[in-house]
Amino acid sequence: MSATAYLFTLEAGPELPEPRPGQFVNVAVPADLTLRRPFSVAGARTPGSFDLLVEVRGRGTRALADMPVGAVVDVLGPLGNEFSEPSADGTSLLVAGGIGVAGLRLFAEELRGADRPVHAFVGARSADLLLHHTLPSPTDDGRMAVDVATDDGSEGFHGTVTRLLERALEGSEAPGRIYCCGPPAMIASAARVAEAAGIRCEALLEEMMACGVGACRGCVVPTRSGYRSVCADGPVFDTSELLLEELVGG
Amino acid sequence: MADLTTRIGDLEMRSPVMLASGTVGYGPEYDGIIELGAVGAIVTKTITVAPRAGNAPPRLAETPSGLLNAIGLENVGLTRYLSEKLPEAARLPVPIVASVAGTSPAEFATLSATLGGREEISAIELNISCPNVERPRNPVWADPGAVSAVVMAAREATGKTLLLKLSPNTSDILSVAEAAERAGADALTVANTLPGMRIDLGRMRPALGNTTGGLSGRALLPVNLALVWRVAGNVSIPVVGSGGVSDTSDALEYLAAGAAAVQVGTALFASPEAPVAVADGLKAYMEVNNVDSIDKLVGAAREERRVWAEKV
Repeated sequence: MSATAYLFTLEAGPELPEPRPGQFVNVAVPADLTLRRPFSVAGARTPGSFDLLVEVRGRGTRALADMPVGAVVDVLGPLGNEFSEPSADGTSLLVAGGIGVAGLRLFAEELRGADRPVHAFVGARSADLLLHHTLPSPTDDGRMAVDVATDDGSEGFHGTVTRLLERALEGSEAPGRIYCCGPPAMIASAARVAEAAGIRCEALLEEMMACGVGACRGCVVPTRSGYRSVCADGPVFDTSELLLEELVGG
Repeated sequence: MADLTTRIGDLEMRSPVMLASGTVGYGPEYDGIIELGAVGAIVTKTITVAPRAGNAPPRLAETPSGLLNAIGLENVGLTRYLSEKLPEAARLPVPIVASVAGTSPAEFATLSATLGGREEISAIELNISCPNVERPRNPVWADPGAVSAVVMAAREATGKTLLLKLSPNTSDILSVAEAAERAGADALTVANTLPGMRIDLGRMRPALGNTTGGLSGRALLPVNLALVWRVAGNVSIPVVGSGGVSDTSDALEYLAAGAAAVQVGTALFASPEAPVAVADGLKAYMEVNNVDSIDKLVGAAREERRVWAEKV
């Protein structure tokens, strides 16, 4: 899908509970590793199956990428909470950095399936890492719009995706909510843009996890109500709840 | 017919496979994921008198064949445990062992009296060995006198079965084990995690927010197995083996070394089905080898039990 990302479709069968946008699965990777690897459900076009969009970062993700088509994987999920309903009026603004597209793709599919307006902002370090093309295609009527940004200017807007978002919000009349997924610094930046614009912002967070079900307290993030677990209290948080400076610095 | 029934003091269990403290939360988190009815007992996340926020993240780091954690005993505290967590956990089809940690013998007594007084709780595990909250010098877990004071305080506070969870991080675990036995412990869990750390080279700082954490998982198995062997040979109360149990043969090794039961912890994260698979595997092993009760496997590899071992 990009220089480092792979798209998998997993057939789970009819017993799979319908994954909700924002939820994840904890995957037993075929390598000698102690922990499963959590991945956002990145699409679910037919009942009983779902997509994962996975960036190869280490041994676990490498082992997954090297699996042959038809291989069987052990998956726990879907787990975690989901994005909130978009406001009745206004466009849902989806902001993704790098592999963060994985966390928003199912939501984009669902919103388009309901003919709700979506404006996606997709950033990456460079053109070869962009994943905007995995989202629903832009439409002529503008109800699905996609803008891209690259840090090196090799495609689209030259700069950060949140700066692109900020520019789009200037002069916008009926913004809806922001839904974002990406590196902590991008999430903090999107949260600042949302606050300045007076709109709600939800972030899907990524942390290393062990249990995936809220038992071990390993994947916590700092919030205004103390440490909360990404797996069971999240992975979706309202950014006004997060202690963003600690999140970025931690 | 192979009988997996296991007794530790008054704690009666369907199988010798327990779920280790810190890995199953308060229990309900894994309801529907682990077949809890097939498990011997769950040991709760350690409960302290006051709530604890725990350590700053990151709290996890993977290691070769293991896991480092530095949770820092995050828990809701005694009051909220009783009002919010215990009622839900009590509905689970499995005995509850409450893990507790105090900062003094008096706190251990408070926790043991309060939790031991609840009929929903079958036993208490005294956690003196968490490596993520201790003072760096002269830790309680290495001090037989301090351990003795904790056990005596808890013993006076409750008649419930008391397990004491020892630390592998001491040069003289036998003195601690013997002190605990003399002070009235009913059983010893051997053992907690070993301290360790990793460095995140990308950010050029310790991988864990707490700098160091506790090493668990398969890497720990031979270390804690050796400790079980030594402790079981020197005390007359039951020993519960803990550290790196992932499959049936791991559990059999602990039993053969002298453990009366085992705890499965880190293996749950990759395989929530592991504890039930271990219990089923033990049963299958016993049937194949004509062993009718689990007691006959305990210490099977020890000199004094080899007569039995040669018979099967």
